[in-house]
Amino acid sequence: MALLKVKFDQKKRVKLAQGLWLMNWLSVLAGIIIFGLGLFLKIELRKRSDMMDNSESHFVPNSLIGMGVLSCVFNSLAGKICYDALDPAKYAKWKPWLKPYLAVCVLFNIVLFLVALCCFLLRGSLESTLAHGLKNGMKFYRDTDTPGRCFMKKTIDMLQIEFKCCGNNGFRDWFEIQWISNRYLDFSSKEVKDRIKSNVDGRYLVDGVPFSCCNPNSPRPCIQYQLTNNSAHYSYDHQTEELNLWARGCRAALLSYYSNLMNSVGAVTLLVWLFEVTITIGLRYLHTALEGVANPEDPECKSEGWLLEKSIPETWKAFLESVKKLGKGNQVEAEGVDAGQAPEAG
Amino acid sequence: MAPVLPLVLPLQPRIRLAQGLWLLSWLLVLVGGLTLLCSGHLLVQLWHLGTFLAPSCPVAVLPQVALAASAVALGTGLVGSGASRASLDAAQYPPWRGVLGPLLVAGTAGGGGLLVLALGLALALPGTLDTGLEEGLGTALANYKDTEVPGRCQAKRLLDELQLKHHCCGRHGRIQSNVEGLYLIDGVPFSCCNPHSPRPCLQSQLSDPHAHPLFDPQQPNLNLWAQGCHEVLLGHLQGLASILGNMLAVTFLLQTLVLLGLRYLQTALEGLGGVIDGEGEAQGYLFPAGLKDMLKTAWLQGGVARRPAPEEAPPGEEPPKEGLPEA
Repeated sequence: MALLKVKFDQKKRVKLAQGLWLMNWLSVLAGIIIFGLGLFLKIELRKRSDMMDNSESHFVPNSLIGMGVLSCVFNSLAGKICYDALDPAKYAKWKPWLKPYLAVCVLFNIVLFLVALCCFLLRGSLESTLAHGLKNGMKFYRDTDTPGRCFMKKTIDMLQIEFKCCGNNGFRDWFEIQWISNRYLDFSSKEVKDRIKSNVDGRYLVDGVPFSCCNPNSPRPCIQYQLTNNSAHYSYDHQTEELNLWARGCRAALLSYYSNLMNSVGAVTLLVWLFEVTITIGLRYLHTALEGVANPEDPECKSEGWLLEKSIPETWKAFLESVKKLGKGNQVEAEGVDAGQAPEAG
Repeated sequence: MAPVLPLVLPLQPRIRLAQGLWLLSWLLVLVGGLTLLCSGHLLVQLWHLGTFLAPSCPVAVLPQVALAASAVALGTGLVGSGASRASLDAAQYPPWRGVLGPLLVAGTAGGGGLLVLALGLALALPGTLDTGLEEGLGTALANYKDTEVPGRCQAKRLLDELQLKHHCCGRHGRIQSNVEGLYLIDGVPFSCCNPHSPRPCLQSQLSDPHAHPLFDPQQPNLNLWAQGCHEVLLGHLQGLASILGNMLAVTFLLQTLVLLGLRYLQTALEGLGGVIDGEGEAQGYLFPAGLKDMLKTAWLQGGVARRPAPEEAPPGEEPPKEGLPEA
């Protein structure tokens, strides 16, 4: 009992082939879109790789790029096959290749689905990479004289301005590191000496933040230094002040940005996957319908198309049998095993 | 009465003219579309910067006129491509015969007029922008502190965001960025800070050489943005306007060519009586007669129509269509 049998006459076959041809070329366009999305994602990750310690995983954008290229190749090939399917002479040369080609298509669809899933799952690894990278980045904020790290101040300032965030989890992160370079500290001043003596590592810690943490929405000019000292500023209470600095941490800001990006990319990839599955099913029907044409000289005759020749459990059993036979292939068998039972690969 | 600028057009050159016109028309459509996008972009930019341009300054007129002009150019291009395509096919041409005349008039008058106006405005823009920006930025700076006054409470945020985005400080530089009014300080808002500076931003007591160690205010340094917002915005907007002006000039050129070609094609085909594949040699022209003769004919025709008309029609001339000569 074949799975999902559909009757085809000549007109229906032609319509199917034409429809599939069109869908395949649309799918090539979709493949180009996936390629573009993968490239865009890669560039976005690269742009901020300083914030991620240059250790971020490029698995998702690379696989999207690969899938895009493969999709273009496979679908243009399928388009050519569908175009030739209407001409029995040209179709004859494609006939032996169709079955393995369909198997490859199914594999491709499975991998595409997995890649789409990965887009949604990458968020977790990105979170830990960001936390690490930002912490280190902030540590190097003051090293504007050290070659190789002199750009970190500019990068973090631009990041905080662009993403409207401050520090790793919040602005208090800046209180725990020395972000002012020793070069600009007057070591003869008493205040500086007191501060340095007040902690174990001899760091100059302040309860202040860089200017890039300032929020333009605040009605008063930005208060950057002595943030926890209410008496240092007129009419200021650090516990109720909300608009002075950006409240969000840069880790949360970057994470939400990348999550949104990857969710959209994942959604688009899923749509393309659905489209590809439809094309594969259509191609399978076309294949079996053309196989079922009893008399190749009479193109007008009706035929049947199906997804699987037998029902799913039987197909699975046949597949297992053939795998077992492959295993015993080298053994000489006394009884002639019917090796003609070709497995219907799903 | 001799036609103006006549051109003999046998079949082959007529076909070549139609094909070339088809190409030019699609080119005009493309350029018109690009000009449309460019003027839309300029309009959006001016809208964003509306707070910093004095309200009395009618800067938005240029992109609006350019928008209209490029829409007309787009339409002309589409009409041109349709008409030239139809002129190659005997079955498709008849419906175009009646429409082409008025469309040509509309294209010349409307499109040409608007384009010339837009070009003129593009040339006049820098002066108006200068005064508008001067006034607008001055007002914004004065209102910076008025975060409690309704109607001005956004000035601080907008000015901060402007300085952050365009990398500028104050009007012509930080010297004038002081809050005007009662409390003058030699300090600047945080948005003037330049992230490229190797040291944390110094915002206050900028003219006091002893306030900050190792900082010499006289030396050029990266501490604050050096450029004033007036120069930055002026350069930005002028750049956009000059691009728009160039595109308008190209559109004008193309539109003139397309309209001329259409006119010649139309008159040549009229000479053949609307028969497309006629092997005869037709004469294409711009105007059926000189301006004086056309006015005389129009006057006579008007006079004849008022009296009971004798049976003769005026000698097989097309009624004058355009009152204005082509530029």
